[in-house]
Amino acid sequence: MTEPARCAASCKTSMKSTHATTDMARSSRTKTWAITTHFIRRELRSRYLGSLSGSVWALLQPLMQLAIYAFVWTYVFKMRLPGDDAAQTAIVPFLALGVWPWNAFSEAVMRSATAIQDNAGLVGKVAFPHGVLVVAASSASFLLHGVGFAVVLMVIELLGIPVRFVMLPLALLAFAMLYVLALGFGYLFAATQVFVRDLSQVLGQLLPLMMFTAPVLYSRDFLPERFRSWLDWNPFTFYPEYFRAKLLGIGSVEISAQIVALCVALGVYVLGRMVFRRLTPRFEDFL
Amino acid sequence: MSVGATVNGIDAPLVVARELGKAYPKVFRPRDRLRALGKLLLDAGEIESVPVLRDVNLEVVRGESLGLIGENGAGKSTLLKLLTGVLTPTTGSVEVRGRVGALLELGAGFHPEYTGRDNIAMSAALYGLGADELRACLPEIVAFADIGRYIDEPVKHYSSGMVVRLGFAIVAALKPDLLITDEVLAVGDESFQKKCVRWIENYLADGGTLILVSHSMYHIQKLCRHALWLRQGEVAAVGDVFDVTQAYLAYHERKTVGTPDRSVIAAQGVEFQLTQFTVNGSEQDAPVLLNRGDALRLTARVRSRDGRTPVIAFGIMRADGTAVYGVSSEMDGVVPRRESAEIWVAEIVFDDLALLPGTYTIKAHPMDTEGVRLFDTLERGIVVRGNTREFGLIRLPHRWNDALQVELPQNTPRTPSSSRA
Repeated sequence: MTEPARCAASCKTSMKSTHATTDMARSSRTKTWAITTHFIRRELRSRYLGSLSGSVWALLQPLMQLAIYAFVWTYVFKMRLPGDDAAQTAIVPFLALGVWPWNAFSEAVMRSATAIQDNAGLVGKVAFPHGVLVVAASSASFLLHGVGFAVVLMVIELLGIPVRFVMLPLALLAFAMLYVLALGFGYLFAATQVFVRDLSQVLGQLLPLMMFTAPVLYSRDFLPERFRSWLDWNPFTFYPEYFRAKLLGIGSVEISAQIVALCVALGVYVLGRMVFRRLTPRFEDFL
Repeated sequence: MSVGATVNGIDAPLVVARELGKAYPKVFRPRDRLRALGKLLLDAGEIESVPVLRDVNLEVVRGESLGLIGENGAGKSTLLKLLTGVLTPTTGSVEVRGRVGALLELGAGFHPEYTGRDNIAMSAALYGLGADELRACLPEIVAFADIGRYIDEPVKHYSSGMVVRLGFAIVAALKPDLLITDEVLAVGDESFQKKCVRWIENYLADGGTLILVSHSMYHIQKLCRHALWLRQGEVAAVGDVFDVTQAYLAYHERKTVGTPDRSVIAAQGVEFQLTQFTVNGSEQDAPVLLNRGDALRLTARVRSRDGRTPVIAFGIMRADGTAVYGVSSEMDGVVPRRESAEIWVAEIVFDDLALLPGTYTIKAHPMDTEGVRLFDTLERGIVVRGNTREFGLIRLPHRWNDALQVELPQNTPRTPSSSRA
């Protein structure tokens, strides 16, 4: 057998085949997996394509951002954490645990929203499950910011503020939940964006609003009493509060809030998937 | 209609399309898009759309080679996109089995910012190749594409020929069960075209299946056994590649010559006007297929404005314009039959048609009662089929004196000298 024949024969695949046997379903799953990992790698590379420092930039950027926030919040706004014994430097980890999850989330949603439109050329020429584009956009954001998150946690520890690393598995679980939430929004918006092109513009306005109505850059305690419960309507509110409670011991999150957050994440994911699935056969007609 | 026969009973067709149709949604304003989104989500009502493909029935078996021909905008690319699964059919169904290698248009799915190698990796992933399989294929792809150092440069720096080279090299390495290509050979240079044609020939010889879109009848005839002619989204003809391509070319020649707009003639109210012209009962623009020796029956209806009897003339020309035969009712001393107050009908029958295989144009003209002035023209095409090595336009009656008849397929002279007989 010739070389190409061998490499071709070793791969089983099918497209739009109606006699889907279990073997074919399996091979289409492995194919989807191969495409997804490829697109994630491509996403990761494209973020730093053309930049000199490449992946170093991925670590440098969050640290610089944190330094700026720390400066502004400590010296300009002179924000103090609630509680008398709070050290001035404690504001840095407090902010970090709000800003990082938010960066991962908002970037994932923004990138996912245009994932189909940005790849219109591919969608129009090659048959493949379009969902991988959304998964790749969201996953790349969470991978990058996840690494940044880890670096920030270590820097906080080095700064002398104790991080409860015992709680890290719980924090990771919440991070995964946040990923599911972002993916759900991503599916929803990516599909809608194909039909309504203004969506990404609107999202660019709505996401900052979402950030400021969640305790990302502040604590719920800073708000007047009567506004505090309003924050619960924002699906993102749970995450910074949970991370701060678990990793820094600042405040606490009730178990009911955790269950609600899980339901919201799963609910948004299911809704996003359903809408995406319904619209995906018509993408090429409207792109 | 089915193209080709099943090679053996067990082998199911690779491609089965039933009453396949595609309509693109009519969305010009953003509001339409929003409405379409609502309708799709709520499953409420149809979206207003323009049909581009209607009622295509197609079956392609393993080892088949099918050429798709048709004018720009006839729906060829849409059909290919439906077959590859890029588009979802509006009506009907399509089934494709096995691995499909598709080259849809230029640079199908390449990302301009990435290098050739990166794009190979992406295509491989889209085709479902793993990393190790890609490693095995890569040297072969690079060698086939043969674009030198450009393989490591972004695809946006490529010439269109290089893009096609790369695309073809990837598909070639995949050895797909079904190869679908859309007008890609035309872009490559001479040597690459030859390389591709040779590759496709080997591929077909090894049992591969091909669906090829091309405007080059040379490539279609060289690579395909069957052809399907799409016209305005519908199947105009399907069958043997030579019949279909000849019909298609004849249609084009008649189109280029250009016939005056019928409605203009009607409005002018000329004295004699053709209202109908049928060839063996068919009024279609698509050429009528005949076998040598069949009867050719031409019927013309003429409207006479003043109720005077017209002379009706018929002519046969080769597609290139060479006159073969022409005759009028007046020459033969006959008068058309009066069907109603202003309509006259003439029908002429050529029994045992002597035309040799080829494409011919048939013309009908009404003339004034004296057979002097010519008023109107309608044309139809015919294709005479058959295998013969005789030369010329028509088969003249002849016989060989003092010659010994040897076993031969009927009507096929062994030597070309028969034309001089």
